[in-house]
Formats: sequence, C-alpha cells, structure tokens
Amino acid sequence: MDYLSSNKILIVNLESGEITEDELDDELVSNRIGGVGVTSFLYDTYKDKDPIVLGTGLLTGTLFPGSALGIISAKSPKTGEIAHSPFTLKAGMELKFTGFDYVVVLGQAGKPVFLWLHDGVADIQDASEIWGSDVWKTTDHIRRGMGDDLIQTLAIGPAAESGSELAQICINYWGSGDCWGFGKLFGEKNLKAIALRGMGLLEISEPEDFVDQCFEIFENINKGSFQGKAGIQDIFSAMGENDASEWLLPSVHRNSACYNTPYPTNTFLYLDEDPKTVAEPAAPEPGFLVTDPCALLELKRCGLSAKEAGSVMRACARYGINPTAVAEFCARSGEKSMENIEKSLKDLKGTISIPDCGRFSCWAPGKPLFSNFDVSDTSEYGVWWKRRQAVAYIFGVHPIFANMAPELSEELMLQMVNKGTGLELDQEILDKVIEDVCN
Amino acid sequence: MRIDVDALKCIGCMACEMACGYHKDDAFALLSSCIVVYRAREKKDYFGVVIKEEESLIIARPEGLEIKRIGVAEEPDSSGQKREADASAKPMLLREPCDLCSGMKYGPMCVKICPVGAISIVEGGE
Repeated sequence: MDYLSSNKILIVNLESGEITEDELDDELVSNRIGGVGVTSFLYDTYKDKDPIVLGTGLLTGTLFPGSALGIISAKSPKTGEIAHSPFTLKAGMELKFTGFDYVVVLGQAGKPVFLWLHDGVADIQDASEIWGSDVWKTTDHIRRGMGDDLIQTLAIGPAAESGSELAQICINYWGSGDCWGFGKLFGEKNLKAIALRGMGLLEISEPEDFVDQCFEIFENINKGSFQGKAGIQDIFSAMGENDASEWLLPSVHRNSACYNTPYPTNTFLYLDEDPKTVAEPAAPEPGFLVTDPCALLELKRCGLSAKEAGSVMRACARYGINPTAVAEFCARSGEKSMENIEKSLKDLKGTISIPDCGRFSCWAPGKPLFSNFDVSDTSEYGVWWKRRQAVAYIFGVHPIFANMAPELSEELMLQMVNKGTGLELDQEILDKVIEDVCN
Repeated sequence: MRIDVDALKCIGCMACEMACGYHKDDAFALLSSCIVVYRAREKKDYFGVVIKEEESLIIARPEGLEIKRIGVAEEPDSSGQKREADASAKPMLLREPCDLCSGMKYGPMCVKICPVGAISIVEGGE
C-alpha cells in the first residue's frame, strides 16, 4: 500500500524478542479495507498465539473529519471471543505516524517490558522499574525517560498486573473504551505499556482532490446539528439526560477534542482547582479528563456528585480499572461514599454484566446524538448502532463522533478512501467486511 | 496580515497543525507545521497554540497572547527565573515560518479548518 499507509505490519514476539515486519499488501486492503477489517484478519491469522492486534483505519491521521481512531482487537477475557476496543485522543493518530499500520503482539515477555514504537522503529524496553506503578506514574516515567511530553501511551496499572478482568488499558492518564478487560491481557504478557510517537508521512494518491473534499465535508458538517454544542455535558443532553448535564457543568474546566474531531467529546473536570481558572494552575494534577460519558453517567446514578464521580474516575484511571465496572459494583452494594469506593478498587472481584454491543465497545452511547440518522424507531437503534460502529472502526473514524455526523455516510467514506489510495473499493466489499466483523 | 488565535476557544484537535503540514509537505505529516497545538501540560488541561513567524514565536495561551522575538535573549521573570520551554516546543525554531499558505487556493488553511473559529486573520504585521 503506497497511500494513506506506512505499508507495514509489525509482528512483535515478546517471548523470543523477535521483531519482524510484513508489507501491507493491496490485496489485503482490497478485501478487508482497513481498521477492524484488517485487525480481525490478523487476529485470525495468529489466533493460536493469543495475539493482541493494534491498528488504524485508512482515514486515521488524515484531514477527514473525525479521523482519530485506533483499534485494539483481541480475545476478551470477559467473553472468550474476539472483541474490539477503540483508542482515541491523540493515540490513534500517533500510531498511524509511528510508521506501522498494524501491530501484532505475540507471546509473553520473560520480564516486564514496554513496547516503544517511533519513527518506523520498534523497541522492546525494560519496564521492571515501573511494574507495580500506577498508570499516571507509568506515563510520566516513559515521557521523562524519552524526553518527550507528547508520547502517547496505552498503559496498564496494578489492576491488570493482578490479573483482574475489570482491568482497562488507559490512554496516557485517562480512561479508554476498553470495556473488554484487555488490560488483563497486557498484564499476562508482562506488557506494561505501548508508547507511541511518530513523525511519519502519509502520501495521498490524489492529494488535491482529497483535501478539497475534506474541506467540503468539513464545511457541511459544521452546519450540522452539533454546532454550538460541546463536551460531555451536551452529549448527556443529546442522550436525554438533561439533569446530568446540569449536574456536571459546575465542575467543567474545558472541553477538548480528539485528533481532527470537530466536536470536543472530552471534558476536563477541575477537582482541586477552581474550574473557572484560566491561567496555568499551580497544582500539578488538578483534575481529570473524562473521555467516557457512559461511565460518568453510571457513577452519577450511584448518587455521587460530579466532583466525586470525577475523583472516582481519576482513581480508576490511576489503578487501571474500568470505571463502568466500578459503578456497577457500587450500584449493587449501594456504596455512595467516594472515599470508600476509591479504597475498595483493589479488592473488587467478580463478574459484571456484558452489554449488548456485539464485538464493539459500549463506550459510544447507544443511540444517534444530535441527529436522528433517519432512524425514527428506537427499537432499531441496536442494529443501527452496531453497523455505524463497524463502519467507524473500519475507516478509523471516532466512534462517538460518527454517531453525531450523518454527513459522514458509508458512501462518502468509501469515496474518500478510494481518492486517497487509488483503490476501487465498493459497497459490496464494505458490506462483506461489516458482516464479517459484526459476526 | 498575520494569524491570530483565541486559545480559549481552541479545542486542541490539531486540525490546523495537520492542514499546515499538508501545505508544507503535500502529504499528511506534522513535522513541518508552523502552527502547533501546545499540549505538553496534559495533566493540567493547559493548552494553546504556537505559531512560528519570520521573526517571532506567537504563543497563544488561554490567558492571552505572548510574542517572543526569535534570537532575542529572554529576560528573567519577576521571580528571577527564566521560563522554561517545553521540550516538545523546541523544534519549532527549526521550522519554516508561516507564509499564510501562500499559493494555496484556500487561503490560510488553519483558519479554514478550525472547527470552532479559534483562528483568524488580522491586519498588521508582527
């Protein structure tokens, strides 16, 4: 693949330390398009070796609106079947520019390690010093060690190291869409983190046409129904949770967006500073970036204030545990004390319910946001949602943003991928890949 | 004319940075962009935008604009400390300055692509 791609699949065997590269050939892309289409193919290829597969879509890292998505595909410890987890913020984009389109991690390292992917180079580095550290210290350690504050990390904390199925892979310091217990898989492989930084370059088959069309799409989208809305508070309103929006607002510092995503889906809560603070705060760690609206909503339902819920989510991200799971335990026990919840994280054991979200993450709210996508019957939301998520995961589009931008049609994404790559992918191929990744 | 940024409106999406990178490299890349989202203080949620101009670095912080003359020694602040730049900001000085996307039919691409109108063109030089 010459375009919108680094043309590389990286295979890392943690057991032997062997690192090899395969080409991403046009035939594979012609049959599987990209993103979850290819990660699920690679998962099947290496299925006997318990792989964790990371990947990006062909649109990831481009100027196509919402092109922020990276994907982890692996066997979920919770279901025993392949599942897919999204990673956004700047990590999906950063993976794309490391010089690797896909990364297959095999085997178990003999000692704690982290994988350092940068500028077309893959290194297995010793992580003995940070094994046992929480996620925040892990990210700080890696960034300090490499001298680069912009490194993106997919990291685990003590929850994963202890083998908990509630463990979550976190992005930098924050929660992620990993509702599948993939953190536990990292822990089993002695893989503390994957660190990403890339200064790569993506060639485009028809650059001027591609960028012209990106601007046109961008202008169309910006006339759309989410204009003037921002952050998790307005996502709550779009979900019909107006009281949650009001509950959250007093703690909101700023909203921010994942890479090239026109709607800021993330909301930073100041917990130890005045949220109205504009200048750089003195406190080094004044709050928490909420990236998971559904988890925050579940903690609200447990009876916590927004500030308390933010604090619990911060504790969850440090420990590397799924906050939605924590909320479910709290709902069962009736625990409403923030301090008690935070203290109990290391003792949480047991199973939690598996939401009906197919192989995709329930991180993206289960209905259209700000727009109805011509789905008027709520009983059709489930089918609509799974197909929409599949499309987002195939092309590399932010899964929450995909649910608020009907302008980003399947036809348009195919057209843009063809313009960008010079391939001739059609709806029939897309339908086939969607069917395959959904079943 | 020059680029102006309202950092409080900025959502840190980096679309401006990638659009600028495309202008410089005719491909998607961030290495040559002369407009960069300043995002090294992630845990503090403190972010803004830095623009490399011919003779200055424009640093758009949430609390306002700061202009640093390139090559002019920085004075210590009131506490006697010289403000330390983030490691990630240092390569900015090596980049080509903003040319307002000269030769591009779109005009300055960062202005056109900013989803929240945080970037604009203002009259007047540096």
